[in-house]
Amino acid sequence: MNDLLTDKAAPGRGVMKLYLISGLVVVGLLLLAGLAMRASQAGWLPLPADGFYSLLTLHGAGMIVAMMVCAMGAIWFLTRQQVKMSAKLAVAAWALIMVGVVGVLVATLVGRYGSLYTFLYPLPFRGTWPNWSTGVFLIGLVFVNAGWMIWCCQMLAGVLRAHGGYRGALGWDYVWHSKSFAASERHPPPPESFPAFMVGLDGLIAGMAATLLGVALVVRWIDPQVQIDPLWAKNLTYFWAHTVANLIIYMLAGVIYVALPFATRREYHVSKVFVVAWWTSMTLTLTNYFHHLYMDFAQPEILQYVGQLSSYLSALPVTVVTVFGALMLVWRSGMRWTLGALFFYLGMLGWVVGGIGAEIDASVPFNVHLHNTLWVPAHFHTYLLGGCLLFVLGWVFLLLESRAASTTRKSMSWLISILMFGGMLVFLLSFYVSGAYGVPRRYSIEPAPGPVLSQVAAIGAAVMIVGMLLAGIEAWRLWRSRADLQEGAKEVIHG
Amino acid sequence: MDAAEKLLIAFFVLSAFIALVFFIVARSTRLPVQPQAEASRFGYAIRGRWFIFLLLGLLGTFLASLPFFPYMRTASALQPALRVPVEAWQFLFIMPDHFPVNQRIIFEVKTPDVTHGFGIYAPDGQLLAQTQAMPDYVNYLDVTFHTSGRYFVRCLEFCGMGHPIMQKEITVGEAATASGRSSLAALDSNGVVTHE
Repeated sequence: MNDLLTDKAAPGRGVMKLYLISGLVVVGLLLLAGLAMRASQAGWLPLPADGFYSLLTLHGAGMIVAMMVCAMGAIWFLTRQQVKMSAKLAVAAWALIMVGVVGVLVATLVGRYGSLYTFLYPLPFRGTWPNWSTGVFLIGLVFVNAGWMIWCCQMLAGVLRAHGGYRGALGWDYVWHSKSFAASERHPPPPESFPAFMVGLDGLIAGMAATLLGVALVVRWIDPQVQIDPLWAKNLTYFWAHTVANLIIYMLAGVIYVALPFATRREYHVSKVFVVAWWTSMTLTLTNYFHHLYMDFAQPEILQYVGQLSSYLSALPVTVVTVFGALMLVWRSGMRWTLGALFFYLGMLGWVVGGIGAEIDASVPFNVHLHNTLWVPAHFHTYLLGGCLLFVLGWVFLLLESRAASTTRKSMSWLISILMFGGMLVFLLSFYVSGAYGVPRRYSIEPAPGPVLSQVAAIGAAVMIVGMLLAGIEAWRLWRSRADLQEGAKEVIHG
Repeated sequence: MDAAEKLLIAFFVLSAFIALVFFIVARSTRLPVQPQAEASRFGYAIRGRWFIFLLLGLLGTFLASLPFFPYMRTASALQPALRVPVEAWQFLFIMPDHFPVNQRIIFEVKTPDVTHGFGIYAPDGQLLAQTQAMPDYVNYLDVTFHTSGRYFVRCLEFCGMGHPIMQKEITVGEAATASGRSSLAALDSNGVVTHE
């Protein structure tokens, strides 16, 4: 797998590029939308309420979909190395998602639709925006979900074909019948297969819930007489949104299993502990979402306990296996700190630190004081911006660095790092401090101390975006300087 | 030190510990390269202990947190309390504006339109308690105000364009003010409020 990054002829590169480039373009535009909103809360950019909330809807829904698309492209490519999968089907799934993205863009920017990405029933039908924009937004999300489910089916089928059905893909015999497994000279699937399997299975389950909710809401849009239970709808909304957000991280964990061994020139081994850890993640990801409904006291109480315990235990596989294993790879490996390696490494730090913020928020007694304050965007921005986006950028840079004829200048690396991570730290800290002091989230005009902290956040975000722009320029330079001789490129990255 | 500062310090200490581990591992790449088998042996020895420490820590925290869950038990609901209906509308709260100190109050939070939040902010700006207001459901929030002063009720679930202005000032004290007297008087013995 280590030659994969340098192999120009590796199958599926075109599909991966399509997903990565389209996802990153959307991410770039929505970063600017995020900056505009923080500047507005800071009092520096006058945005009317409908403009603010339509932008917030676009930012939330768009970022999840864009990050999802990036992660899908990367893990699809890795799975494609193990088994033949139809590129046409993957492109068709991408096209459906993009049709949905256009629908969300039209609904929010033209129709000023603004019930946020959570679209809690019955708000989509009780807003100030035109009725058509509600329909376009909901149908847009149905398209996104359709593309997602087709892609999940393809991934699940691919992994099952590659590793001999569920028993093989799950590593069942490897764990429970290890002697006969070893005697038959079989091998467990490679590490990146487990997140690929998980996203296929859990993604389909989440997609089915979203389909149910989507159909119900579209029917309600067509016929206003139809009534939906708001608590049922809220459960489905968060089951879908939380699961997909988690799967983005897990898909990118699959990328870590390939990228870090490449950067450290070591191997990531599959062990029984590793396999059991992935079984745990596959299960707990489906039950964590209850923590979004802690403040719904009408929710059956047992689910609140399940939510907290499940959220706590989901930290184990991440910190004990994936991140710990990655640190073991880096330990005294002599790894060269290229931008690609640095992005991956700090992305893992962002994942864990965001996880700490999430675990605090997932504790019911703390959630009473933090629910729907800015603590919530604080922790999910930490692991989506400071984790997932860094993994995606790390993957892009490793791909570029592995084939480039020159490396990034040290001064440029430092400049990009200081601007990106310094700005990101300031931006995230202002969220955490605001949240701890109870500043509500989703307020276009915040109570004190919100506005002052929004000013700090806006400055941090602007600095971070300048750093990302420089990273983009550097990526362009590396792409232009790609080496024709792959062996030469390997020498460059490995020194 | 207030609750927000304590929370931030706890978060920063935990994050700093993780960052320190990452820093030490990153610095180790400057040392002579160690064969992977040797590094793995060292790593696995730590990992087993880390797993047990983390598992016990998480389970212990879970158990320790149980008494602080805000959900009302049947037995607790039957205890004497002032029952105060709250109606959340786009974009206002219909509820009394004065409450007694050290009196157990059960807020019965409802809404006829969309989902809202019902968050009570103490005079020092801290978020004291909250629940959701959801159509077709009643959420019961058990609160005892221990300090007199001006409190704010804010909507904590996005409910439309007027969401950030959906707030209400309430007072808590021994002696009711003129407006407070009238709003408390509006509560009958069953806690049913007549809207002013």
